[in-house]
Amino acid sequence: MELSESVMKGLQNVADPNVFDLKSFTIFTELVFDSLVSPQCESVLGHPELKHIDQTTLKHCHAAATTFILEGVKQNADKSTISSCLEDARFQIERVDLLYTSLQKNKTNLEYLLSSIDTCPPHITDAAWRLEYCIKNSHLHKVNQPSYLISLNTERGGASSEINFSCTMEQLQDLVGKMKDAAKSLERASQS
Amino acid sequence: MLLVLSEEHKEHLGFLSEVDSAVVGEFGRIAVEFLKKGSNPKIFEGAARKLNVPAESVQHGVEGLMYLLTESAKLMVSEGDFQDSVLVLGFSEELNQLLLQLYLENRKEIRQILGKLAPSLPHYHNLEWRLDVQVSSRALRQQLKPSVSLKLVLEDGESLRHLIQELERALAELKSSHCRRVLRNIK
Repeated sequence: MELSESVMKGLQNVADPNVFDLKSFTIFTELVFDSLVSPQCESVLGHPELKHIDQTTLKHCHAAATTFILEGVKQNADKSTISSCLEDARFQIERVDLLYTSLQKNKTNLEYLLSSIDTCPPHITDAAWRLEYCIKNSHLHKVNQPSYLISLNTERGGASSEINFSCTMEQLQDLVGKMKDAAKSLERASQS
Repeated sequence: MLLVLSEEHKEHLGFLSEVDSAVVGEFGRIAVEFLKKGSNPKIFEGAARKLNVPAESVQHGVEGLMYLLTESAKLMVSEGDFQDSVLVLGFSEELNQLLLQLYLENRKEIRQILGKLAPSLPHYHNLEWRLDVQVSSRALRQQLKPSVSLKLVLEDGESLRHLIQELERALAELKSSHCRRVLRNIK
């Protein structure tokens, strides 16, 4: 795993018992993972248990630790890779184990977080429909035809929007048929 | 349901009884063409010169026919009601029959054209789908993220008409003198 000089320096500070005693290290590690996984959490800076540490150093350490953790998850690094990186930064075995345990505990959530950083087309989240019967309009009388109005709700990065369109019964059957084919294909692929 | 023709409309259509039935037939054909493809005022001048009448009379006659056809098609006027509505114009039996035939032959198509004018949402045309599996990204290597991509093809009256117009314009370009010169030189 390649890490920048700045990240290595930050990790070395985290490893240093003169900067973080064991208790502070434990709290710090917990806060670092929380800051990645929970949207609202206590801030590392200004935390009562970490006030005795120089805040600039603390900020640097937080950045280094989060970078290291995310790199590890991104590359699905195994225990020996993680351990050797931390040992290079002069981590004691006890601290390596503590960090690695927290990493395993939070790995799934972190993977989910990273996999959602994505550019992709909007996702369809919901569908609403309306069946109507047109009797006449300003240009044509005696229309007497039923039609569907479909509204697909889409979301992309928190912003939602709608796709609206009309169709006849046959077209809706065609649409649903094709979606069923896609679903069957997905099911088959997941079973094989 | 009977059509009620305004005095102005009756006056415009009155011109049709002053020309012979072959001309009325031709006007009818022009009226339907204009409904399908849009009007072309130059035709009025040509016809007016041949008949030795003011262009305005020709224009009113053709436009009167167009309006008669669209109103009858819109209301889906029956054969009998159409004949009764046209009686008030005092035309000859031959002319009445001609107008009736013109209406009956083109009614369906005119209704289709009118239908496109009504407000509408984009219309479903086709759905294509694709099953994907994302295996890696810049943010996370070694993933297995299945997804189904859908391509919903919608068609709305405006964009289809616009598309047709653009393509017709493209075809017309080939016929321009500049293009013809270039093609001649390539050969």
